[in-house]
Amino acid sequence: MKKLFALLLTLALLLGAVGALAETTITVWCWDPTFNIYAMNEAAKVYKEINPDVTIKVEEVLSADCETRQTAALSSGQTDSLPDIVLMQDNSGRRFLDTYPGAYFPMDGLVDYDNFASYKIDKFTSDGKRYAVPFDNGVAATFVRTDYLEQAGFTLADLTDITWDRFIEIGLKVKEATGQFMLVTQAGYADFVSMMTQSADFWFFDEEGKPNINNNPAVKAMVETIVKLHNSGIVKEAVDWTEYIASFNNGTAGSTIQGCWIIGSIVLAEDQAGKWGVTNIPRLDIEGGVNYSSQGGSSWVVPASSKNKEIAVDFLSKTFGASVDFYQTILQSSGAIATYLPAAGGPAYAEPHPFFGGQKVFEDLMSYSDKVPLVKYGVYNYEARDEIVNAIEAVFNGATVEAALNDAQSAIEFIME
Amino acid sequence: MKKKRRLVIRPLRILKHLILILVSFVSAFPFYWMVSAATNNTADIILGHIAPGNYLLQNWRTLTESGRIGPAFYNSVRNAVLLTISSLFISSMAGYGFVIFRDKWKNRVMGILMLSMMIPPAATLIPLFRMFSQMGLMNTVLGFMLPSVATVFLIFMFRQAAQTFPQEIVQAARIDGLGEFRIFLKMFIPVMRPTYAAAAIVTFMNAWNSYLWPLVILQSPEQLTLPIYAGSFRGGYVLDYGAIMLVVTISTIPMLIIFFTLQKSFVQGILGSVK
Repeated sequence: MKKLFALLLTLALLLGAVGALAETTITVWCWDPTFNIYAMNEAAKVYKEINPDVTIKVEEVLSADCETRQTAALSSGQTDSLPDIVLMQDNSGRRFLDTYPGAYFPMDGLVDYDNFASYKIDKFTSDGKRYAVPFDNGVAATFVRTDYLEQAGFTLADLTDITWDRFIEIGLKVKEATGQFMLVTQAGYADFVSMMTQSADFWFFDEEGKPNINNNPAVKAMVETIVKLHNSGIVKEAVDWTEYIASFNNGTAGSTIQGCWIIGSIVLAEDQAGKWGVTNIPRLDIEGGVNYSSQGGSSWVVPASSKNKEIAVDFLSKTFGASVDFYQTILQSSGAIATYLPAAGGPAYAEPHPFFGGQKVFEDLMSYSDKVPLVKYGVYNYEARDEIVNAIEAVFNGATVEAALNDAQSAIEFIME
Repeated sequence: MKKKRRLVIRPLRILKHLILILVSFVSAFPFYWMVSAATNNTADIILGHIAPGNYLLQNWRTLTESGRIGPAFYNSVRNAVLLTISSLFISSMAGYGFVIFRDKWKNRVMGILMLSMMIPPAATLIPLFRMFSQMGLMNTVLGFMLPSVATVFLIFMFRQAAQTFPQEIVQAARIDGLGEFRIFLKMFIPVMRPTYAAAAIVTFMNAWNSYLWPLVILQSPEQLTLPIYAGSFRGGYVLDYGAIMLVVTISTIPMLIIFFTLQKSFVQGILGSVK
């Protein structure tokens, strides 16, 4: 009896060991069923062909919740609960990499980084090591009602490669001709604070990560431009996200300048099909100002605590980091625009978009993403942005730009101490 | 003669009613909008469509497609019920003890407990997470319950209530030979029913709405709770407001049931019970 028991036990152990060898499960946290979860599941299908022994298990966790869980696990040192792959907002990259050194797995040499837009890679680079596979594109663009432009005697070309001053001139004429606002943004102009600053190749922090606000020519020009926009009357300042979306869906506003992911919300207004166009964003009229920037976007990271980190990186590099076909599939079904530059050569990207009057929108957006200035994000991106938003509010209320920015500089220095 | 009363116009009363109507509208309208939005699609909701629409079934399908709403609902009910029962029992025993038994330190202990109320929960999150994951209580109901099973607020509430509880009853029961635990069980609990009802509503609501702690301690998808599930709908670049409103509507149902069944006692309990 004892022998039989021992035999059974050995057999069970052996089977268990074989099972473990054959089957690896990679757990992934991400949050949007129609977007990144969909893309992840498609990637799993591609990888099944390459390595059939690996199963990808996607768990739906909200982006803020992913961060809370990572903070709890990494601060307490109890990292067993972390998955093998997490999707992370680009804005948070530096914060997690710098706060928890060694918590993430560097991918240099394992992923072919030459094929990605450099502005994306830099958001997850720390001490010269690269820690993420870039995913969705946050390249900024001007999305505009071409029919409104026509009524005022302009075309999409008139809005391309222009300065913000020119944009305001055109906006005033559009408002005169159509009676609608030229542009919509959320009150506070928070999106523009970061987009404009980056478009002039500056950020809220200098190379060493110190706050660079009151002596920063781009920040100064950005604040002055926002004040001009505010005073011009061409901007609808929406109180919240819902009103923001509603303003272009119901035609109250003729354009929005945003990360390219906003397309998903623009095409909701089916009655406006054919009336939209896409072009690059206006530039700040200072040295180094260009018509390209980014807003939002996310990347895949692998926690160093993962027991399958090599397989996880192999999976990422062979799907998100290597397959042009894969990017065609996810673009068609979910509108997930890649940061993987070769994907732009694929057939789905060359497809004319009926909602945008046949414009090859995705190809255009991809061509912008290669030109986005590479700025070094800091740990306190959101905090700095919010302080500048407060400063702008103060300028609206009569403060001078210099005084308001001095206040913002000391406020962010105080936070960082 | 009496009929004349009808003709008297009381401007003050009209004003009072106008204010009350306005206040009821302000508090009831968002509730109405939530329910009606659950029957509309996102585009209509964004454009401010207020009347009920006919997208209820479609929104319902969005929710049921993932197969997560059922388990999430079950988990939330289970967690909230277990926590409410155990926390009421333990906290009321503590509150009772603070009043009935004599000890020269008890007021100081209560003072320290009250001070601990001022620590924000976020500050204790990481130490708690470390403790509980080391104890192997991740993804267990026990792990969810333990940190909030004895809350200072409830202890304080029961302590206040116990102060109105006649000591004579306790003494009479002791003389008749009833043990201390049974005095609590047979004398205190029945008399304090309104306080229990009020405490039950508050505890259930807190457990039902709790987000941060379940998020880190109940990480496995099998342990998903309703608030976290509802939250998952606001993650995308494009938000499905119809589905969000439906899941929010569904998640208010248990609260409504609890509140309406305990409503009478709740008001009494808050007012201070036992006269």
